[in-house]
Amino acid sequence: MYGWIWRHLPGNAWVRALISLLLVLAIVYVLFQYVFPWAEPLLPFNDVTVDNGSGAAR
Amino acid sequence: MDPVRLIVRTFSEICVTVGTVIVLFVTYVLFWTGVRADSAMDGELDRLQQRWSTGPVADPKSTAEPGPRAERPKPPAPEPYEDGKPFAVMYIPRFGEGWAKPVLEGTATGTLKKGLGHYSATARLGGSGNFAVAGHRRTYGDPFKDFPKLRSGDAVVLNDGRTWFTYRIDRRPYRTLPADVGVLDPVPEKAGYQGPGRYLTLTTCEPEWGHSHRLIAWAHLDATRPVEHGKPGALHR
Repeated sequence: MYGWIWRHLPGNAWVRALISLLLVLAIVYVLFQYVFPWAEPLLPFNDVTVDNGSGAAR
Repeated sequence: MDPVRLIVRTFSEICVTVGTVIVLFVTYVLFWTGVRADSAMDGELDRLQQRWSTGPVADPKSTAEPGPRAERPKPPAPEPYEDGKPFAVMYIPRFGEGWAKPVLEGTATGTLKKGLGHYSATARLGGSGNFAVAGHRRTYGDPFKDFPKLRSGDAVVLNDGRTWFTYRIDRRPYRTLPADVGVLDPVPEKAGYQGPGRYLTLTTCEPEWGHSHRLIAWAHLDATRPVEHGKPGALHR
């Protein structure tokens, strides 16, 4: 998989390394900005209210 | 290329990738949510200070003064709390000297990422009834991390820009089930309160990293003090 990506990147080894680094940073950014905030509420740490956050239930 | 070799290599690469993503996710939950929440809470505190320093000067007579004062003038109807907006700062000396968190209106998931959340269906701060607040125990800045350390007599001090409200914890934290909304009643009977009063309820999750139970702390209003008279005694160490 990674070998395949490497072979399809343009330029010499330095350019390829730079593009790889940018790709990794972009993926980490997307994960932190969009994927993890979506996944995190599926974990139990958000349930701190006694009415499951509906706010109106009494 | 040998197809078995290709399959084994691709499989190992996927495993390494998934492992890296998991490590990144743990970093996000344990560390990054705290960084984001701390900066969000600081932002909310700044907004409160900004509003208080530019807002109209409070009429000292309008501050809630519990007690049988016969000639007390009827205070003007207070403006309703705006959903998702901060309206007070909470101080709990038991959680550390610098522990100060904004209290926002509502208990939506997004609101609790920026501070403590006031159950909008419960009483107003300092009001007659039960003023209930929820907060994260873990992740998002760990505001209620030391919740089980609360003991009877501990101060919970709140400032809404006009008045310092000093509540006193009445018993050790109480463990209950998530559906037990009775803990938010105007007179929470499980706390041992008999009659109407000005109560405070704090809720968070239990166990620390789980969601099977909730931890509840109750307090009663002990004293109020206009902000122009300075910090209440509970905050002086």
